[in-house]
Amino acid sequence: MKRKGHPDSSALALHAGGDLGWIAAWKTSRHVAGCDECREEIAAYQGMRESLPALNELPNLPWNRMAEEMRANIRLGLSAGECVREAEQEEVERPVPLFAGFRAALATAVVAALLVAGLILERPTPSIMSASVPVVQVTGDGVERRAGDQGFALMHEGVEVKNVTYSVGAQGTMGASFVDPQNNLVTMTKVYVE
Amino acid sequence: MWSKTFPLAAAVAMLGAGTIVAQNQPIPQSAIKINLAGDSPLALLSFASDSGSAARGAALALDLHMSLTLRNTTPNRIHGVTLRVVAQEATLGGKASVTYPSLNVGPGEALPVRIDMQLLRPSQFSGGPLVQVDLDGVLFDNLAFYGPDRLNSRRTLTACDLEARRDREHFKRVLAQNGVEALAREMRDSLSRQAEAGQMTVAVSRAGRSVTSAAIPEHSAEFAFLQFPDSPIEPVKGSALLAGNEARSPQIEVKNRGNRAVKYVEMGWIVSDSANRQYMAGSLPSADRDMSLAPGKTTSLLQDTTLNFTAKGRPVPVQRMIGFVNQVEFADGKIWVPNRESLSNALLLKVLPPSAEEQRLSDIYRKRGVDALVAELNKY
Repeated sequence: MKRKGHPDSSALALHAGGDLGWIAAWKTSRHVAGCDECREEIAAYQGMRESLPALNELPNLPWNRMAEEMRANIRLGLSAGECVREAEQEEVERPVPLFAGFRAALATAVVAALLVAGLILERPTPSIMSASVPVVQVTGDGVERRAGDQGFALMHEGVEVKNVTYSVGAQGTMGASFVDPQNNLVTMTKVYVE
Repeated sequence: MWSKTFPLAAAVAMLGAGTIVAQNQPIPQSAIKINLAGDSPLALLSFASDSGSAARGAALALDLHMSLTLRNTTPNRIHGVTLRVVAQEATLGGKASVTYPSLNVGPGEALPVRIDMQLLRPSQFSGGPLVQVDLDGVLFDNLAFYGPDRLNSRRTLTACDLEARRDREHFKRVLAQNGVEALAREMRDSLSRQAEAGQMTVAVSRAGRSVTSAAIPEHSAEFAFLQFPDSPIEPVKGSALLAGNEARSPQIEVKNRGNRAVKYVEMGWIVSDSANRQYMAGSLPSADRDMSLAPGKTTSLLQDTTLNFTAKGRPVPVQRMIGFVNQVEFADGKIWVPNRESLSNALLLKVLPPSAEEQRLSDIYRKRGVDALVAELNKY
């Protein structure tokens, strides 16, 4: 959520991981140096990122085990093949086949492909929201629907945020309910994601 | 020298020109149309606007500030009104709604309302009003309804009215049984709960995970359910996908344990963090507009949305989820809402946002004191 005068949450999260571009990082650092609220939010994101190193370690999962076993089996098969070939050479005295290392290279490539496939299957890439996905959120002035740089808002002017009750519908709506200070009527506004 | 400074000056001039173009232009009152049908229970007494528009790319951003005074032209008391404000039907961000529940407007009495919002519409448009304000629905004291009901206003206003009756009865009982000081204490508790409830901020989006939580492993978590003895609907099982401070794609299976067909169910959704603090996350309504859940049958409530939770600017990692039946609409249009005892027995009152009526009554207490509140309760 972007608060007035503050970098938005995505920028702070990226900054927490050192993933911002240098201009954005410089601007964010400058802001954060004088803003306790954003500093706290960055600290919170950094706390969440502590769980990330565990992800980087390859877990002992079936795909990896299978890949190792297959690699071992292929090596065993190649070694056994060499033994048989040596015995055949002694018996038949056939010439050494061309591209003797080709099969080994092919087997290594297959193992590598299996490892990569295993990694991809174990850690699928989640679908990530793009910046243009419509989001309904609370701002200091009211409820806002935003998609990229386009948005609209239902404002509650003259009402303190603490006197506003927000309700969220999982179907993609957000409502604000407050007592309008000018006419003392309970006013419920609603914004729709789509 | 000039050759170097000229491009810079030209750029500054172009930026300045762009700023001038993007400035707010007043919207004439004649460009706003208030649509009230001939048989409408409300007549327009006065209308004033201080609205403006500004070009934003290919769109026109409308900054609307309108004051309307409507008059009840019927012999019945009006308990709720919903207005639909439309700049452009097909444009995202082109329409919104404003609802006024907890009203008590007698025959011939005036109802002053305000509309403050921003809407979008394409810059290119062919004539017609810039903005239209339509009456979507009016609810009367006998729960009769008037209006096209394009926004399900009948259900919303009826549920609000039932909650209003429930909460007024509760406060009148407190006053009758325990006196004025007990009523004042209830109001102070309510205001304190309202202030605490505002600490959680939820952002809603359609599907997908946000950049900030995408690196965190996602897992499926089961709902725990609060059961209300008098609820016509029983939650059976449910789950949502959790990752850090995000929950997405909730689904809950519910069973109709009553003897009447049901056409709408809304579940309340509470989340708790690692410190076991509970927050009202939102509601999970049935998505199927044509739902008809016969007695004894089950159905699933599904929504493909993502909810992102923060409190005081910090992400709130979701640990547990609790669901409860919040609203039911029967096939005959009648509405069920939980009673006050169920809510307080389940300790939900601490987490749930107040009803519109409780909000109104606590506001009267806050601004005008307990005597004004007692006088207000005595009107009903």
